[in-house]
Amino acid sequence: MQKINQIIFIVFLTLFSFQILAAASDQVSADSDDFETTTVEDEIYDPFEKINRAIFSFNNAADQIILEPVAKGYKKLPSPVQSGISNFLSNLRMPLVVVNQLLQGQGKNAAESTGRFVVNTTAGIFGLIDVADKIGLEEKEEDFGQTLATWGVGDGFYIVLPLFGPSNVRDTSGMLMTMVTDPVNAYAASEGEAWFVTTRITTNAIDQRSKIIDEVNALRNNSLDYYAAVRSSYYQNRKAAIDNTDDSDLTPLPLISIEFE
Amino acid sequence: MKSFISVCFVLIIFYSFNSQGSEASNWLKTEVDKILIAYQDPNLPSENRFLLIEQTINNNFAGKSIAIHVAKKSYKNASEEKRKEYIELFKRHLALNIAGLMQGYKNQEYKLIDARYDEKNKVNYIDMEINLDTGNILVTWRVLKHKERYFVIDLILSGISLVETKRSEFNSMLKTVDYNLSEFNKKLSDQNEISYSKIIN
Repeated sequence: MQKINQIIFIVFLTLFSFQILAAASDQVSADSDDFETTTVEDEIYDPFEKINRAIFSFNNAADQIILEPVAKGYKKLPSPVQSGISNFLSNLRMPLVVVNQLLQGQGKNAAESTGRFVVNTTAGIFGLIDVADKIGLEEKEEDFGQTLATWGVGDGFYIVLPLFGPSNVRDTSGMLMTMVTDPVNAYAASEGEAWFVTTRITTNAIDQRSKIIDEVNALRNNSLDYYAAVRSSYYQNRKAAIDNTDDSDLTPLPLISIEFE
Repeated sequence: MKSFISVCFVLIIFYSFNSQGSEASNWLKTEVDKILIAYQDPNLPSENRFLLIEQTINNNFAGKSIAIHVAKKSYKNASEEKRKEYIELFKRHLALNIAGLMQGYKNQEYKLIDARYDEKNKVNYIDMEINLDTGNILVTWRVLKHKERYFVIDLILSGISLVETKRSEFNSMLKTVDYNLSEFNKKLSDQNEISYSKIIN
């Protein structure tokens, strides 16, 4: 009997303390400026939303039917195999990364990326092993979209590309420039090995998708408007890439509770 | 003497920022562990597991403030009753979102790698690195101190802010109901039911 009383007491105490704690969280107040829109939201220009939504629905279906199941299968490969494929693909991108770093005036980063490419291609067996990372040559991605942004080119309007997903005018131009100027692709095409380009693009898509299975599912399952959530995520992610920072201090700060009750 | 006092002053300031950061990190670790332990317990029925996670999130997130922040003018123009209903629905929505996100990381190891304090905005930033087989993911928690307690006001994953994303998403949906919070609540309630059934199954 005493034990039952103790359990009832503990349950009541727990519920009571949860109530108190939850009530305290409600006291954190919102600033009056919260009713204004944020910069990120204002920046998104989506005049072709209807068409974009239709393409987005197609991409979403293709993802659920083809890409996600394939990516889940890929995830079952031993992790050294996955890392090897990922490293190899990343190493192939490196020459254009160096070009973009130079175009953005990042001499030090360009030198480091060149070092990464040389070390990983030789000691890392054609880029399969990321030896460079172990000796402090960190990977830094740059693309033509980021270069154009650094030169002051604006986003343009938002576009959802069939199969390629969210983009904007500037980043689509950047993507086309990458396709045209990539030396590895150009060499393969000139040798009559165009299959290599298609295989590379497909493998890259599977590899990238396999890294965000849980995140995409969480977003898809819990979004009130999945299209808007992806659009916002795309812009925030690109902004972080253009600013060359993983530093979350630069992500817009929600104007929450600068003033307390 | 003057320089000695200056050095002491700088050290005290530095120490107080640092200690606030580490205090916030300890608090965050305890709360994150509560959620992960709930996920790792195989004997816990999924409804109870979510309830436990929801309570932990409600206690530690500034849910009401985030709710107001993301609904903008619709909240301002709504009746008190609809506001209350919206806050409750939003809190559940937030819990479902965080729980959904953390479900994917339940078996991963993590460590808190950095904590810093933004004096201007009175916000703590705590960086958490989640170790995956194929690399690491950085999650940054934005934390406010209020009446000797900490509250999460946002979390950022690969440069993407949860609150900013929700704000954009909600604004898009509010547009379709002419910024009517009452209509919006119905949609939010439906979505919560779908998300809930997915998370417990």
